[in-house]
Amino acid sequence: MDLRRCRPARLAALMLALTLFAAPAAALDLRQLIRGVEDQYIGLSSHARMRMEVSTENWQRSLTMEAWSVGRDHFLVRILEPPKERGVATLKVVQEVWNYLPKVDRVIKVPPSMMGGAWMGSHITNNDLVKAAHVDEDYDFALLEETDTYWRIEGLPRPEAAVVWGKIVYQVRKADRVPLQVDYFDEKMVKVRDIRFEDVRKVGDRSIPLRMTVQPLDKPRERTLLQYEKIEFDLPLEKDFFSLRNLKSR
Amino acid sequence: MLLTLALRNIWRNKRRSLLTISAMVVSSSLLILALGVFSGMLRDMLASATEQYHGHIVVARQGYQDDREMFANFAPDPDLLQRLGRQPEVVGLSPRLRGFGLVSHGSSTYPAELLGIRPQAERGVTTLAGHLVAGKFLAAEPGDGAVLGRGLAKKLGVAVGDELVFVTQAADGSFGNDLLTVSGICATGDSGHDNSLLRVGLPWLQRVMVLDGRVHELAIAIREPMQAAAVAGQLQRQLPAGMEALDWGQLLPEMREVIASFDVSRMIIVVILYFAAGLGILNTFFMSVLERTGEFGIMMAMGMRPWRVRLLVMLETLAMGLLSLVLGLGLGLAMSLYMAHHGIDLSGSITPVTYAGGTILPRLGAVLEIDNFVIPAALLLAVCLLAGFLPANRAAKLRPVEAIREE
Amino acid sequence: MEHGTWNIDLLQLAWRNLWRNRRRTLITLAAISLSVMLVQAFHNLSFGVYARMIDSGVRAGAGHLAVYRGDYVQSRDEKLAYDPQELVARISQTPGVEAVLPRLYLPGLAQSSRESRGIVLTGVDPAAERGINPFLKNLPPEKMLRDAAGRDAVVGARLLRELKIEEGSKFVVTVQNRDGELVNELFRVRGVVETGIKELDASLILVGRERAASMGGVPGEVHELAVILRRAADEAAVFPAVETLVQGRPELHAVGWEKAMPNLANSIKLDYASQKFIFVVILLIVTIGVVNTLLMSVMERLREFGVILALGATPGRLRRMVLAEALVLGVAAIFIGSLLGSLATWYLVEVGIDLRAFVPETLEFGGVVFEPVLRAAWDVAWMARIAVYVVGLALLASLYPAVKAGRTRPAEAMRHV
Repeated sequence: MDLRRCRPARLAALMLALTLFAAPAAALDLRQLIRGVEDQYIGLSSHARMRMEVSTENWQRSLTMEAWSVGRDHFLVRILEPPKERGVATLKVVQEVWNYLPKVDRVIKVPPSMMGGAWMGSHITNNDLVKAAHVDEDYDFALLEETDTYWRIEGLPRPEAAVVWGKIVYQVRKADRVPLQVDYFDEKMVKVRDIRFEDVRKVGDRSIPLRMTVQPLDKPRERTLLQYEKIEFDLPLEKDFFSLRNLKSR
Repeated sequence: MLLTLALRNIWRNKRRSLLTISAMVVSSSLLILALGVFSGMLRDMLASATEQYHGHIVVARQGYQDDREMFANFAPDPDLLQRLGRQPEVVGLSPRLRGFGLVSHGSSTYPAELLGIRPQAERGVTTLAGHLVAGKFLAAEPGDGAVLGRGLAKKLGVAVGDELVFVTQAADGSFGNDLLTVSGICATGDSGHDNSLLRVGLPWLQRVMVLDGRVHELAIAIREPMQAAAVAGQLQRQLPAGMEALDWGQLLPEMREVIASFDVSRMIIVVILYFAAGLGILNTFFMSVLERTGEFGIMMAMGMRPWRVRLLVMLETLAMGLLSLVLGLGLGLAMSLYMAHHGIDLSGSITPVTYAGGTILPRLGAVLEIDNFVIPAALLLAVCLLAGFLPANRAAKLRPVEAIREE
Repeated sequence: MEHGTWNIDLLQLAWRNLWRNRRRTLITLAAISLSVMLVQAFHNLSFGVYARMIDSGVRAGAGHLAVYRGDYVQSRDEKLAYDPQELVARISQTPGVEAVLPRLYLPGLAQSSRESRGIVLTGVDPAAERGINPFLKNLPPEKMLRDAAGRDAVVGARLLRELKIEEGSKFVVTVQNRDGELVNELFRVRGVVETGIKELDASLILVGRERAASMGGVPGEVHELAVILRRAADEAAVFPAVETLVQGRPELHAVGWEKAMPNLANSIKLDYASQKFIFVVILLIVTIGVVNTLLMSVMERLREFGVILALGATPGRLRRMVLAEALVLGVAAIFIGSLLGSLATWYLVEVGIDLRAFVPETLEFGGVVFEPVLRAAWDVAWMARIAVYVVGLALLASLYPAVKAGRTRPAEAMRHV
């Protein structure tokens, strides 16, 4: 762990987290909990191999991908299968997204007006890639329900947060703090989509669900399923790994 | 016998007859020219709105034209194509596929609309090939050529022969992407299209978008664009369920409004023109008969019946009117033809204008429409007969002595 | 060599001559004056319609003149924003200026919880824009942006439908800031406008300028200063004044509306070119009428001319007499014609022509929605000019008849019928 590479905000968050863990008597910190949920696949750095299955009215896709990340802001993913799309890659650095197209050997930056487009034909938009990681900063959380096995936590967007949702509801397993389901509502509190998490496994010292299903509710027959086949955390990855040069190579 | 007398009368007073005839010739020919120029403007407007992009009628899946949804495509059934092509009104039929995505060259990337076409078929429907400023239109054989607007070419910094990358979401959800070679650059004057439209080969786009054998629309050119709504109705009956034939009025509702308002202002101007021409002709014919009151008096004094005087004048007027109409129509036709072929080029002071989805090139031209000849001819003949009849009638009602005494 | 020069006598004589054939004179007079009336009234109508189009065009668009940095007019390159510093205040103080509207345009993405669309985020000064921009005319005051830094947005009607949101809903706008980073901000739909222009209705988002500028990473900066004048005719005076004000900053320059909105300027020019062509046709027809009348009157008075010549008048006097008749006829015609033209114009100014019977309410012309009631405006200078033309044409038309009259040979003429 190289603290010098952390930005002050992150450092502060880390310090805060350490303080909280140091005080076991403290009440459940919902924000901390959600941050953990949102960052479950990230860690300080990660390397994964996954399969994405997309069903829409118009296509069925099955992709195998390899992904690397460092923190929330650096992310690189490359398609391994099918052969036709092998080598297509996406790089995300902070707020920007590039795609590499091996067939024409070109890197294309996604312009703002195209950020709403589907990423790799899934139910995840380019914007989701860019923004997903800010939930704990944009919402205020409240405990809706507590049972023996899970918490239901409601996230209401802060008045000025740049989020499209009316609220988000998390269902988190108490035992290992693993999410079971996340529901997204519009401003009229109509549920728009949900994400279900399954197949929880122990990876290193953490429990994570290896399967994630995104379901848009206005299109009940559509979904995107993401299955981690392999994931490892806290590798010695540097931020300069996430460069345009690296996007093209390999 | 009366006819001979009438002709002799016309001949006898050559100068007056010439004057009267010349007034009529000039007025009628100018009127015809002006009407032709107006029809020309209307045609240019309509042509620019339809023939640069849409075509007169477009056949597509229901609702496609509203949201351009990629999946609202269809496989053009050869039977259907043949049936549509056989319609007597249809002069051109072009199957097209449309794709939205990013085009990129070097470090610049812009959103663009790609229209996949068969070059030969497209030429029969739109006039884009005529707007090239560099390079060539797409070659007939399928390839990776692209014709793009000048604005887009400038933004991307490409010239003829350069490579472009097109990226889109293909129909199977994958990244559709491939290279294009700029084959031509066009300037239609419509900044919207010039800044975002590329035309590429249909097979190329079908492959990149993974839509083999599919198209989004059939663009159709017809003989009489103003009849498009009726023809679209006929075509509609040939189509399978779920498909629709839209005429330009439905594709470009603004255009219909523009034509309606243009019709109003044209009506005003045409009324003014008829007024001016009619008054001029009325003036000369009226005068030329009026000043002969004395002459008619003498004729009646010599025993000619008043009705024969009237008839004589009507014959004279008719003969002169017909003669001058023939000349006027001829002159009007000649001037309209000149305007149709050469026109008045205004591009020195005006650049092309975008007008309700179409683009008008800055030129005053003319078209020949039968109505622009028949209606003025009939009206002006009626005016000159009236102009002859009124004073003749008056003279015929006078007693010979009174008539002779009039100046 | 000719002592009988132009004088009142000659004009009186011409007047009397004209009245000798009252019917012919009246018909000719009617023909000319009606043509004058038609041309004047129609020109004034177009003048009024164009003026309104320009007015609504410049108010919605780039103003009568605008200040840009570099070639922003053509390239629309967002990087060409600039800090207006004290320009807004100083241009506002220039006489003839009604308002200065600072605006910022950022292309980007609007997202609701269901859809996303490409848009142009337009940052405006709500207070200044309110009274000027015709798109906001039908917007109730409580639906207008409340301040320049808030999160209120006025959204195009089609865009609102496509995003599947409604008044009061929130949505997120993403734009690229100066450093190329994506910036997201929340906005709330305050009001909805339907301009009638399809592309605008599908992409327009008006927000406070300070909010937009901070998103773009260019606080305080603008892309455009649209200068609205009290009267369009003041442009000639205000333009150099504005140019002087921006002189100290070579990257900035003033652009007239004809350059900033070439489409509007050119549609008007094209429309007017076709009209001029029609006017020329009408005037030609009028001229032929005058030639005819005068020539005929000369022909039938050949005998009389013969007598006058025999009595010792010079051919020059005859020529001048015919010219004088044309002059009197022309002046009388333009007098009556202008009177009628003024009446027609007055009607068209007060009542206008209602197109609503023919066309739907929104009508686009050269990118500007134009009003369904056509109203004229007074262009007195042009009316005077056309009057002078007509008198000139009458004189021109009388040249040949005058020459003809001057060539009369007494003996021959008296033998004539």
